[in-house]
Amino acid sequence: MITREDVENIALLSKLFVPEEELDGLTRSMQEIIDFADAINNAPTSGEEFDNINNLSNVFREDEVIPSYPVTEILKNAPEQAEDHFLVRNRE
Amino acid sequence: MTYELVSGFETHIELSTKTKIFCGCTTQFGGEPNTHCCPVCIGLPGTLPVLNKEVVRFAIKAGLAVHGRIADVAKMDRKNYCYPDLAKAYQISQLYAPLIIGGYIELSNGRRIRLHHIHIEEDAGKLIHRHGDTYVDYNRGGVPLIEIVSEPDIRSVDEAKEYVEKLQQVMRWVGISDCKMQEGSMRCDVNISVRPKGTEAFGTRTEIKNMNSITNIARAMEYEYERQVDLIESGGKVIQETLRFDDATGTTSSMRSKEDAHDYRYFRDPDLVTIHVPREEVEALRAEMPELPSEKFERYTEDYGIPEKDAALLTKYRSISEYFDSAIEGVKSPKTVSNFIIGQIFRRVETEADKEIFDVAVKPAQLNELVKLLDSGKIRNNLAKSTLEKMLDSGKGALEFISESDMGGVDEAALLELCKAAVEGNPKAVEDYKNGKEKAIKALVGNVMKNSRGKADARAAEEKIAELIRNA
Amino acid sequence: MGSIADIHEKLVTKQVSCTELTKSYLEEIEKANTALNAYVCVTGEEALDTAAAVDKKIAAGEEIGMLEGVPMALKDNMSTKGIETTCCSKILTGYKPIFDAAVWEKLKAQNAVLLGKTNMDEFAMGSSCETSYFGGAMNPFDVNHVAGGSSGGAASAVGGNIAAYGLGSDTGGSIRQPAAFCGVVGLKPTYGAVSRYGLIAYGSSLDQIGPITKSVEDASIVYDAIAGADRRDSTSVGAKNGPTYPQLNNDIAGLKIGIAREYLDGVRDDVKEAVLAAAKVYESLGAQIVYFDLPILKFALPVYYIIACAEASSNLGRYDGIRYGYKTAHYNGTHDMICRTRSEGFGGEVQRRILLGTYVLSAGYYDAYYKKATDLRGTIIKAFNNAFENCDVILAPTVPMTAFEKGHATSDPVETYLTDICTVPVNIAGLPGVSVPCGFNAKGMPIGMQLIGKSFDESTILNAAYRYQLAAPENFKDTKWGVKL
Repeated sequence: MITREDVENIALLSKLFVPEEELDGLTRSMQEIIDFADAINNAPTSGEEFDNINNLSNVFREDEVIPSYPVTEILKNAPEQAEDHFLVRNRE
Repeated sequence: MTYELVSGFETHIELSTKTKIFCGCTTQFGGEPNTHCCPVCIGLPGTLPVLNKEVVRFAIKAGLAVHGRIADVAKMDRKNYCYPDLAKAYQISQLYAPLIIGGYIELSNGRRIRLHHIHIEEDAGKLIHRHGDTYVDYNRGGVPLIEIVSEPDIRSVDEAKEYVEKLQQVMRWVGISDCKMQEGSMRCDVNISVRPKGTEAFGTRTEIKNMNSITNIARAMEYEYERQVDLIESGGKVIQETLRFDDATGTTSSMRSKEDAHDYRYFRDPDLVTIHVPREEVEALRAEMPELPSEKFERYTEDYGIPEKDAALLTKYRSISEYFDSAIEGVKSPKTVSNFIIGQIFRRVETEADKEIFDVAVKPAQLNELVKLLDSGKIRNNLAKSTLEKMLDSGKGALEFISESDMGGVDEAALLELCKAAVEGNPKAVEDYKNGKEKAIKALVGNVMKNSRGKADARAAEEKIAELIRNA
Repeated sequence: MGSIADIHEKLVTKQVSCTELTKSYLEEIEKANTALNAYVCVTGEEALDTAAAVDKKIAAGEEIGMLEGVPMALKDNMSTKGIETTCCSKILTGYKPIFDAAVWEKLKAQNAVLLGKTNMDEFAMGSSCETSYFGGAMNPFDVNHVAGGSSGGAASAVGGNIAAYGLGSDTGGSIRQPAAFCGVVGLKPTYGAVSRYGLIAYGSSLDQIGPITKSVEDASIVYDAIAGADRRDSTSVGAKNGPTYPQLNNDIAGLKIGIAREYLDGVRDDVKEAVLAAAKVYESLGAQIVYFDLPILKFALPVYYIIACAEASSNLGRYDGIRYGYKTAHYNGTHDMICRTRSEGFGGEVQRRILLGTYVLSAGYYDAYYKKATDLRGTIIKAFNNAFENCDVILAPTVPMTAFEKGHATSDPVETYLTDICTVPVNIAGLPGVSVPCGFNAKGMPIGMQLIGKSFDESTILNAAYRYQLAAPENFKDTKWGVKL
């Protein structure tokens, strides 16, 4: 059983606000989804370990410098910036 | 009741690869804000990481340097937490299959601080807080790190200091990091708890985050030890929590807030593939490894009879030990070389930074030449010392300062002649000596030294004169 | 029918200039998009610039490539330098990437004419396109029906002839399902065949980009153009077995087509009949139909949702209002800013999946959900490998039903998830799958069937699909919308 407190905690970890009035509804719908996910509890596994889809390994790049982007490009989409930094004002 | 300190360290070391761990941006320290950045290291949507091969090689070298086991298979995981310095809201790290397992650092008291593992991961960006606002610079974001996680084997502040110094020494030694604590390329999280001495069970631990100098590590640990002991003595309980150390007040305080409910939700990073470490590659890297400081220390103390204190100085930096090793080639007493380096050359190298580079005016071959002159009895110790000073001043070789006539000393026959002349020419002194005035012989020796222009061996002369008088 | 080959022929023989062609597409977008809502951003100026360049080449007598000058569209989760890329989410409004996705880089280099960015479920999470911040894309066969999702805009644009072809992305069926709903062809390539670089991630171990086209040949041409290993995507391998186009029209006599009974469970009758009729067509072409069981499939849906949501919860952590996209207007402190930005910027379904993903990865639940799901993933892969020992391709419905009516995608998340039951196994196992039109229901809405192949065996499924297209052309119907060539 997932509780309201669980949902609050998950929301905090997910950095999402859940308004008080939506908490019960969300807890119920989370419970439904989790019940659905619980179907796998009884599933038989063949012991086949999953690593990655094509069982790839050792994909590397060489330690060679590639020129960085100009700071104007880096900051281009920033909602706020100052002195070539991304800026988060304490309050707005 | 007496208490015992129990501590374990999580040490982050920035690797000195040319580029970041998952993109081609430079790792150079400093730089104008956000100029060492690209879509990958600022985590733009749709970007993907590609692992820098050199990071794996450097980490393996680190593992070999601390006697760790190199895993056959390693994997990258995501550590999820949301903070403005972490562009993707997760740090790519290793939890389930780290690259290095085990290992240890041996302290001078013989105790081994065991390592749990070493993993590779990416560094975060830098936050500057000004008037409550936060400025974010991602230049450091994505710089490769290794995290060295020790077992809780440290039992005193002195052990902690030595542990950090030894790690710093060996990681610099194998050339994977400059380990500059003041620049943040080496940082420690210190776990600390106390327990009544003689008991086994661990107490509740606290973790002091992000310590960036050995002095502060010592201060913070001393403070935290006292705080925990006082707390327990007064009937309180230590709470497991994360602390920060305040440099100004010398105290620790809690970092906890409701906002960082930490549950890192580690899982395999689906964007990166498995790392298989071929044994041949490990062996090739092992073959490339320099003789480690601990191995050199053992050779210096046991094979050469150099005092431990001096051997520690010689092995503090790889450059000094290499200087020493090349200066002792073919000499009779490596200890003499050590004395010259520590007694005279060190005085010319003022800072730690200069010691680390150890680029001195006298080249190892020149010191070697000087010591060989001494070995062969061609010059005397006093002359060697003063000559070394002149060499250090000028960068010139020993022979520039020692004339032919200074060398060669006085052979047996010549010494006998000189002694005979002294005995014959000073009957008064001989008489006094015969009458028990032992000091009178000094005048006769002085006569020999004067006539040999200081080249004769004073002790040999004294023996010879005494013999002449006895047999007269 | 406006296939890529037709357009190419018309351009080369100067029956139409690329500029005229592009203009007619832009005009038709103008007319149709109010009803179809296929595009969320139209890039007319860029399109005409490229068209002019192509015309210049043709005028100069230079040879042009098959995709050169062909007007097309990209799903809005593929990064386009300087062109707004939103994933149809409020949280990415205004975001203009500073680099191109690998697939767009490839097509741009071939002078593909980009008409615009197509509608999708927000962050590709949905099966109807209705979770889009810009409202859902509609079905060109009947605009009261949804186009499907998540690549609904691309399927609608292609079905509505307002793009010659589109690129979609498929995490749990997001190419194949809307292709089936809109009566067009949709190929989900083998995981690793096409670079994901620049594709805004939903479920990184499942996501794959592929074409949505009017015909099987077109799917083959576009797939061959975008496939390839990419050093920027560590999981990319490229088209291991070479281009598919030269393999089309191979004889399929003796081809073993497997039908897993589980794929037909709970499938609506009209869909089942159409798929079984297609099997008959294959038999008439000399293929052999073999039935088998794949019981593990009943766990595919929860396995998919656990893995996809877990990865999504991590992938979507970065939308925090600091580096790009939407930022809340009023807040107090950084934590508050991030939470408000995310709660205001993400829609309900996205938030629900983030929460589920966070839950299945959190301490105490990881083993029961995420770990178990990845273990089952290994088991499902094994089961498919075994199945492919007895057949060359697997035939299945693409979706258990036809396109639903607008607003029907209910508020019940679990019921909506069931839509994906036939498509997710392919993503879990990383296999290629192509959806091909195979009939219509009583109301005239298209039905799609799915051909699933072995890893990197796109050639075989495309060839089988092509032979079907030749044998049953009546199922490839045009709609009233768009450019008529």
